[in-house]
Amino acid sequence: MIESVDRRVDIAVALGLIVICAIALFGTRDLPPGTFEPLGSAPVPQATAAIIIALCTIVIARASRRPHANSRAPDGVIAGKDDSDKANAGRAVITVLLTIGYIATIHMRLATFAVLTTVYLVLTIGWLSRFKPHLLPAIAATALVVGFGCQFIFTRVFIVDLPGL
Amino acid sequence: MIDGLLGGLALVFHPWAFFFVVLGTVLGITVGAIPGLTGAMLIALTLPLTYYMTPTDAVVLLIAMYVGSVTGGLITATLLRMPGTPSNVMTTFDGYPMARAGKPGRALGLGISASFIGGLVSWVFLLLLAKPLSIWATRFGPFEYFTLILMAMVLIASVSQGSLVKGLIAGMLGMLASMPGVDPSAGQPRLTFDWYMLNGGLKLLPVLIGVFAVSQIINDILELGKKADRVEASSSGLLMSLRDWIRHSANMLRSSLIGTFVGILPGVGASIGSVIAYTVTRNVSKTPDEFGKGSEAGIVASEAANNATIGGALIPLIAMGIPGSVIDAILIGALMIHSIQPGPTLFLTNGDVVWAMIAACLIANIVMLFVMMGSVGWVARLATIPRQFLLPVIIVFCIVGSFGLDNTMFDVWVMLIFGLIGFALERARYPLGPFVIGFVLAPLMEEKLRSGLMMSGGSILPVFTRPVALLFLVAAVVLLTWSLISEWRQARERGR
Repeated sequence: MIESVDRRVDIAVALGLIVICAIALFGTRDLPPGTFEPLGSAPVPQATAAIIIALCTIVIARASRRPHANSRAPDGVIAGKDDSDKANAGRAVITVLLTIGYIATIHMRLATFAVLTTVYLVLTIGWLSRFKPHLLPAIAATALVVGFGCQFIFTRVFIVDLPGL
Repeated sequence: MIDGLLGGLALVFHPWAFFFVVLGTVLGITVGAIPGLTGAMLIALTLPLTYYMTPTDAVVLLIAMYVGSVTGGLITATLLRMPGTPSNVMTTFDGYPMARAGKPGRALGLGISASFIGGLVSWVFLLLLAKPLSIWATRFGPFEYFTLILMAMVLIASVSQGSLVKGLIAGMLGMLASMPGVDPSAGQPRLTFDWYMLNGGLKLLPVLIGVFAVSQIINDILELGKKADRVEASSSGLLMSLRDWIRHSANMLRSSLIGTFVGILPGVGASIGSVIAYTVTRNVSKTPDEFGKGSEAGIVASEAANNATIGGALIPLIAMGIPGSVIDAILIGALMIHSIQPGPTLFLTNGDVVWAMIAACLIANIVMLFVMMGSVGWVARLATIPRQFLLPVIIVFCIVGSFGLDNTMFDVWVMLIFGLIGFALERARYPLGPFVIGFVLAPLMEEKLRSGLMMSGGSILPVFTRPVALLFLVAAVVLLTWSLISEWRQARERGR
């Protein structure tokens, strides 16, 4: 049960959770008391949100007392780790943004599922593989097979609707 | 019981159902063997495809996947030093050194045999305990149920990875996430912020896919490029001799019993079962120094225990509707999708489905033994598919799965948002198990509390006056106190 998480992450996540709970408390403020039963709709979410806020305060207090992760590490160790972590963090952020774009274009029905999926996969797999030229044929093949294959299997075999045009 | 089991076996040996057992086991083993992909992810993604199946076929497929996924991780844990699933972590400590020492077949053979025995022992307990426990649980009133769920939530938070406070936060956050929508008791929209899309609440499937699949994919992208030393699979030594069986029998039985017991505890799961069994086996061993360097007993303990948690975890699910693990929480979702209400009356209302679940657990174990023996090399090669290709394809399946529930893009956005929330929680070391179990159990907990208060005229006193409810409450308080004290002690020791 050793907490090795960066205190900034700890505090940021706890603050985010407090905001969510504050919104929940705000959202239940006007709920009327129960008519046929004693409790009503509001007390359970209110109590849950209040307890989470109290527990998050404990997490923030503990994290604030903890020394910063980098200050305890031996010289050089963190620097080397940070480089690869930052590169992968960049990959993750771009992948999430590409995914948001993919979902948004599906939602707006800009094209068929097969086309949008093929484009998304080319971009995402390409990005994660750093667009290495020798991988491009495999990326294109995978994207086409998954994009058009999914459209065929889901709509013709499973008879399931797919998002998109 | 015998009649029920025979009926269940007949259902499972129906050609389609048996095909699903084999398919589920193979898929489970394959996904379990691929580091970064988990059984929970596979089962959550498969749920939408089960809408069009009969309830029996659906649960049979999902249980076979459950059995396969826990076992499949053994292959990569042994050959690549990368546990396919978290429950195989302990296997890497001894499986990989043994494989490196030129005995990969023997390491895999020990793991496969131990997994089979673990699964078998826990299945016997499932068979013997599920029905009597469900009969006992039918006597529970709302206050007993409320305190049972309360105890389960405290237990889940206490034993989850990370601190107790974070476990509790994760569980309660899951509870809070289940509350938007029209309150079923009062018919009152709650936490919908006048947004009609939220009137139906957040559905289990998009939340599950987000929390388990999307967050895991983001985590996997952060780990891209990390390569493992690979040992080639070999079939030499896969079969254990009679002498081996005799030598490891006590360890197999002990670890299987530990795994079964840990599995019965709500929400604890296979990872903790294997850690406890491994630690106990090392403590009672005459050669504890060998552990971590290729000990046969270490592999046997870890694998027998993690497979034994499967049958154990199914006991509270079938008997009381309380999930014994995260995958069981998804199975509860699967039952509800097929209009089957989990709980103590399950044997009465859907006895055929329950007996099919129990029979599928046994048959999947047997199928697992044969598939694993025959395909370790093939599965090990599959595990080396570049994740740069695999992860985006899985994202596409996540989107299709979430959309397929109700043909609405709202569920896809919910999946994405919960994926990001799950990722943030995991980075800050909040366990995700309590979150999902809180999400599944909160509506039941609130319903029982409110109906109990209606019966008692608003008085909470029955919690203290009814013996079983009081027992569960005391257990919850003791668990919470014990966890707080042990965490405080650990913090003090670290401070020294």
